[in-house]
Amino acid sequence: MANDMSALIVFLVAFPLVVSGVLLAVTKGALRNAIVVLACVVVAAASLVTVFAFGNGDAVFFGLPGGLTPGHAILVMEAAIAIFVVVVSLQNGRVLAPIMALAQLGIALYLDLGGHLPEPDPQRLFWFDRLTMVMVLVIGIVGPLICIHALGYMRDYQRSNPRIGGRRTSFFFLLFLFLAAMFGLVVSNDLPLLHVFWEITTLCSFLLIGYTRTKETVGYAFDALNMNLLGGLGFSVAILLLAGQPGGLDLAKLTAGPAAAALLPAIALISLAGITKSAQMPFSSWLLGAMYAPSPTSALLHSSTMVKAGVFLLLRLSPAMAGSAVGTMVAFVGLLTFLFVSIVAVTEQNTKKVLAYSTIGSLGLIVGAAGIGTPELVWVGVMIVIFHAVAKSLLFLVVGTLENRLYTKDMENFDTLLSRMPRVSVLALTGIAGMFIAPFGIVVAKWAAIRAFLEVPGFAGAAFLIIMAFGSSLTIFYWGKLLIKILSMRGIEPYERSVEDRVTRYEWFAETALAVGVIGVTAGLGLISEHVVGPYALTAFSAAPRAFLHLDPAMVIVMLVAVLFLPALALWASRASGYDLADFYTSGRTANAGHLMGAALGGTRTVTLRNYYLEGVIDGALVFRAGTLVCGVILTAMVLFGMVVRA
Amino acid sequence: MSPLVYGLLFVVVAPLFGGLLAGVDRIVSARMQGRVGPPLLQPFYDVGKLFEKETRQVNPVVEPLLLGHLGFMAAAGALVLGGTDLIFIAFVFALAALCLVLAAGSVNSPYSFAGAERELVVLLASEPFFILMLAAICKVTGESTFQGVLASPVLVALQLPGVLLAFLFVATIKLRKSPFDISTSHHPHQELVNGLTSDMSGRLLGYVELAHWYESALLCVFVLLFFNWSVTLGLLAFAIAYGLEVLVDNSTSRAKWQLVLRSTWTVTLLFTGGNVLALFLLAR
Repeated sequence: MANDMSALIVFLVAFPLVVSGVLLAVTKGALRNAIVVLACVVVAAASLVTVFAFGNGDAVFFGLPGGLTPGHAILVMEAAIAIFVVVVSLQNGRVLAPIMALAQLGIALYLDLGGHLPEPDPQRLFWFDRLTMVMVLVIGIVGPLICIHALGYMRDYQRSNPRIGGRRTSFFFLLFLFLAAMFGLVVSNDLPLLHVFWEITTLCSFLLIGYTRTKETVGYAFDALNMNLLGGLGFSVAILLLAGQPGGLDLAKLTAGPAAAALLPAIALISLAGITKSAQMPFSSWLLGAMYAPSPTSALLHSSTMVKAGVFLLLRLSPAMAGSAVGTMVAFVGLLTFLFVSIVAVTEQNTKKVLAYSTIGSLGLIVGAAGIGTPELVWVGVMIVIFHAVAKSLLFLVVGTLENRLYTKDMENFDTLLSRMPRVSVLALTGIAGMFIAPFGIVVAKWAAIRAFLEVPGFAGAAFLIIMAFGSSLTIFYWGKLLIKILSMRGIEPYERSVEDRVTRYEWFAETALAVGVIGVTAGLGLISEHVVGPYALTAFSAAPRAFLHLDPAMVIVMLVAVLFLPALALWASRASGYDLADFYTSGRTANAGHLMGAALGGTRTVTLRNYYLEGVIDGALVFRAGTLVCGVILTAMVLFGMVVRA
Repeated sequence: MSPLVYGLLFVVVAPLFGGLLAGVDRIVSARMQGRVGPPLLQPFYDVGKLFEKETRQVNPVVEPLLLGHLGFMAAAGALVLGGTDLIFIAFVFALAALCLVLAAGSVNSPYSFAGAERELVVLLASEPFFILMLAAICKVTGESTFQGVLASPVLVALQLPGVLLAFLFVATIKLRKSPFDISTSHHPHQELVNGLTSDMSGRLLGYVELAHWYESALLCVFVLLFFNWSVTLGLLAFAIAYGLEVLVDNSTSRAKWQLVLRSTWTVTLLFTGGNVLALFLLAR
């Protein structure tokens, strides 16, 4: 079986790589569309075959076919990455990124050429277990759907941004390069190998954020690059520290149980890398800047997969840091980030940014769960990974579609959407329901998290509980505002109806498939928990078998009703006839059905309805800075603490 | 009797309880204002009449959303008595409230929309408390269901005095009593006309009233959780608490939403948060 797995993994990494190379050479639109669709089908099929070959059993370890070892290839890749960063940065007059890239290269050179790098076990280069399986399914199913969506989206995007011209070839090149790196990242067991894939995803993110090459986006791209390189540098230093420890570079051995004190500094530094990648405070600003990238980028890299690499690594580390001061500090960074960004999100009007804050918050919950490190909480973390990947990417794609059709990302401009774009509305509502409507996937996870927090003793337990209570309520507020806008209805003109007809079939396909996925994972909640996530959480902690999801029949019924409530209601309402969309109440001062209202002293005024953003009560920018400061202090303490323990 | 029967019983009995409570409320309020007040059963006549009237709908989403509001509110209470995990209830309770917000927000009337936004603020203000309250009750008794808490040897109110105080404060919001009735307007000639319900008529308004009765009954069930040694004691405590609410309702003017949000969060953080913190620090 190890041989099969080995060949399949090589295929999963190599195939997207080859496709990306081919796409770089293809300039003809129709040919590109055909190649992308075909490649997406192959990637999805290969992921399924891989998962089938794995068979949802115990963890398997394997190497490259024929017992090959990467040898100096890792060093060559590190050098290529560093040289690329140096060249691009100097072209743009940046110095911070090259310094960090060269420092990483220096460490790699020292380890490899100095003979300090222990030879990896050729049979333990890769590690495939249930968590890997979840990640491979997310990357291999959600990823291709987003690539297909991008075919439609980018055509319109290019139309509204004519200056980017022929660079669409590089866009799809980067998407497939990224998929290859992600597959490599989640299956690597050898830390130096994992680090290479890690840095490639950083570069893909950098290039995709700066895709339009305006001054603004290039600036955001370098923000993302700097912060992620800092994490990558921390990762490099951790590899340096671990190289002297027996089995230290073997991720599975490193995370088999509570880490010895000597290993904690390295664990802290890898956690730092995980925290930067998943955009936790104080590094949250890069993900907000990343929202200026085209929407498929946001969906693929900045919500469903790449940022998940950060929490994936932290979930891996969870058994090693559980119960240590490092673990507690990681947990506080995650949960405080969840609280702070949820506060900021209620003051935000740009829908994509609201989605970004919500993403950072959801990742914060996973980081918090991983930091505390009990089987129950790791269960929560993996469940959120699954639900968030499907539901949030759907929402990003829908917002992308709306942006191309309505030329706006402002939440306030989405009012009466159900009348104007009923099909898109139903998809949006499915995504929102998947993200937060009680008692859906993530809410089940939140509920299980609160249950688990009750068992955390002392100050930390109380603090986590209070953070969760407030953070969770804040999410209701910002989702509620978006729902009000989408669900409002009015009589519309015939020309408005045609807007929805211009949505491309690629977008319809991807969004509908993800919406079905949202309903599917919700319906399969019990099965996923019992057969995949539950067993994973138990094996990771070598814990005795137990059930994680105590759902009684009444809860299941309520959930099933809540699952379909909003989408079904919207679907029905958009087709309901016999309603004249009656005039609403304006104190008898309606001057015109719809928009105008009689004003004082005669005359008419347009009615505008604007959501509350809690101005005067919450200063979003101030809260963001406060969160950055608090989490920055905790994180600095964590890294310093590691050094003190070692000394 | 099995918990399921209790759950079904709640669905049937709660509206009667809530309706009678509304009747008593109106009589007591009237006496405070030097009036005689309507008959005890007046709320039932009123709601009955709503269902006979012609219903005019602004758009097709309002009615299903209001049915969702009513259904989820009844379900929240039924799930509590039916022995479902108490922390889970906080989310169902919030979903029920959200349905009302969405119904009111979807109609485009400036009055209704403002009411919806304020109700959303009210939800934001009160929800952290309910999550913390239910979590604290589970923590202190080590139980997770209504039946479990009632059978617990620990008297919850004694362990959670801060949470109980905060409950009195937050219940004012949920019962839509002045000074926290910012999303509606039970008193005429105010800036919101009728807030949330401006654009609801006939049976739509009936659903809202019924849901409110369920909500009152659910709040009473929450009080029973605090006085878990005896249901009689719990009902007595609820009667006293409700009397206080009516008194406050009649002696204060409405607050602005900013004040509601700030004060509720402060009370939740200080009293509930402090109580929870003490609970965790003292537990050994």
